[in-house]
Amino acid sequence: MRTKCLLTAIFISLCASLSLSTNAAAKIYIDVDSPNFQLFPIAICDFDPAAAGVAVKTLNAGFALAEETKRYLTMTGFFNPLNKKSFLEETNGNSPAAQINYSNWAMIGADYLVKGNIQQSEKETTAECRLFDVIKGELLFNKKYIAAGNDLKILARNIASDILFALTGDEGEFNTRIAFVSKKGQKGDIYTINYDGSDLKSMTNHRSIIIAPRWSPDGRFMAFTSFKDGNPEVYIRNLKNGSEKKVASFEGLNLCGYWSPDSKNLLLTLSKDGNEELYVLEVDTLNLHRLMHSYSIDVSPTWSPNGKKIAFVSNRGGSPQIYVMDADGNNIKRITFEGNYNTSPSWSPRGGRIAFEGLINGKYQIFTIDEEGNNLLQLTFDSANNETPSWSPSGRQIVYSSKTNLKSKICIMNANGLNVRILNENADSLAMPTWSPRFK
Amino acid sequence: MKRNFTWIGIFIVFVFGLTIFSGCSENKTVVKDGSSQEQQASTAQSSATTTTTDQEQSAKAQAAAEAGIADITFDFDKSNIRPDAREILKADADVFLKKGNWKIVIEGNCDERGTTEYNMALGERRAREAKKYLVNLGVKESRMKTISYGKERSVDPRHNEEAWAKNRRAHFVVITK
Repeated sequence: MRTKCLLTAIFISLCASLSLSTNAAAKIYIDVDSPNFQLFPIAICDFDPAAAGVAVKTLNAGFALAEETKRYLTMTGFFNPLNKKSFLEETNGNSPAAQINYSNWAMIGADYLVKGNIQQSEKETTAECRLFDVIKGELLFNKKYIAAGNDLKILARNIASDILFALTGDEGEFNTRIAFVSKKGQKGDIYTINYDGSDLKSMTNHRSIIIAPRWSPDGRFMAFTSFKDGNPEVYIRNLKNGSEKKVASFEGLNLCGYWSPDSKNLLLTLSKDGNEELYVLEVDTLNLHRLMHSYSIDVSPTWSPNGKKIAFVSNRGGSPQIYVMDADGNNIKRITFEGNYNTSPSWSPRGGRIAFEGLINGKYQIFTIDEEGNNLLQLTFDSANNETPSWSPSGRQIVYSSKTNLKSKICIMNANGLNVRILNENADSLAMPTWSPRFK
Repeated sequence: MKRNFTWIGIFIVFVFGLTIFSGCSENKTVVKDGSSQEQQASTAQSSATTTTTDQEQSAKAQAAAEAGIADITFDFDKSNIRPDAREILKADADVFLKKGNWKIVIEGNCDERGTTEYNMALGERRAREAKKYLVNLGVKESRMKTISYGKERSVDPRHNEEAWAKNRRAHFVVITK
């Protein structure tokens, strides 16, 4: 009896220490994808002017920089910036780390604290930013940022990026763009927009049916299908000089799929041999390699991040479903079984999970599933048709199109379906968003 | 000798270029006239008052020709030819067989629901199924071409079952020249 008790006690203490140790690990890099994840409570103080008696302009800049940093952090979906009115201390960016009264910040619920100062000259704006862990009472980083003129946006973006990196080990999506198709009537073109919703501009000038834009992972090219010359043909656009070349213009359907992780190959659906079939196109040589021989429709192929597998849509089972196979076309395995319409697979850059759209209760919604076909998760539930998911480079967010009969939106959400943000909204048709790699 | 070859080369390239060019312009008319029969009929009527150009004349001829050709429709997410569509295709084939000089472009379409990419493939499949059926009825394969517009070219823009049923179709565009 006693030994039993002892054993139980040991077992319980083992469990406790295990859970404690995972907690401790989580303090360093919190699993932001977990459904239980709590947003990081963070206090961001106004940036103080470095010198005393400066112009009102600099004071305002300090306020604006804090607000912008807050905005960027909120965008990531992992932060809960606390209301400044709750702060117990007068903000004083000049106080060294030792003088910070951490309990004053812990009391208002802040786990992290941002303080800094700002200096402006004719030519440039300099900001110094310090991030503190309130619970541990320590400085996480102290870094200087310089931007030309008074470009606070770029400062705030870099500060937010460093804070995110310090807490999650990931630099986030701040230096990415999202491409999508905007269509008026039947005339469409590819547009791109910054992650923060700024700088919307058109990329192509085809004024035709245009579909399936796909960034190359090295960020140098955009592949897509366009009806510019009457037939659906695959183009590759050089993003540096804007030149375009046709890489697949066979008889019938030429439909663009995803690039291989090394940006050397492009997956396509071609019907030239009498059936909608998957091919690999070697981009430099334009050599084609057919992946399979089946009578069914096979479309929307996407590589796994290690290039060893391919997910695609096939109706070989009677309805469009997601399948996974080896990159050489062998070992085909169906992974979706719920519902009778599952399409648009997109493989998370972190591996493991595949996002797709599925028909449920008469609407298309975004789901994720692991590559073995387990752990199905529905991410969107509203009354719009939510379609064509595409992962962010970090694999932590998903961009998708959300359409009702009246409105068309491009939205970003966290990989757990929370923190939906509208990136662009229009009465025209906005569709097929796709996330760029990180630009240097 | 070498020079001669160069000239022959240039000549071949030139002729080839011309063929491609004329091929392209033919394609363009096809795309332009790919809208619904009703629309074509109305453009034909309204253009009667304006000065008739060659293009309008050929458009008129085409509209008149296509007036006798009916579309076929499909079930949701299906590309098989339904029994009612078979009857329509038989009637269409009779016309095509009589007019041996016509070329036919079969346009596959889908309703607005579902994925753009999958619908592109489904539209292609519908067009090819229609083509196969016409081949079996004796229409020469070389006279027919298929193109899919997926869900990008609805004839009925409404968002209901009636519109969807109309939009899931194979449409026949006739090139009379």
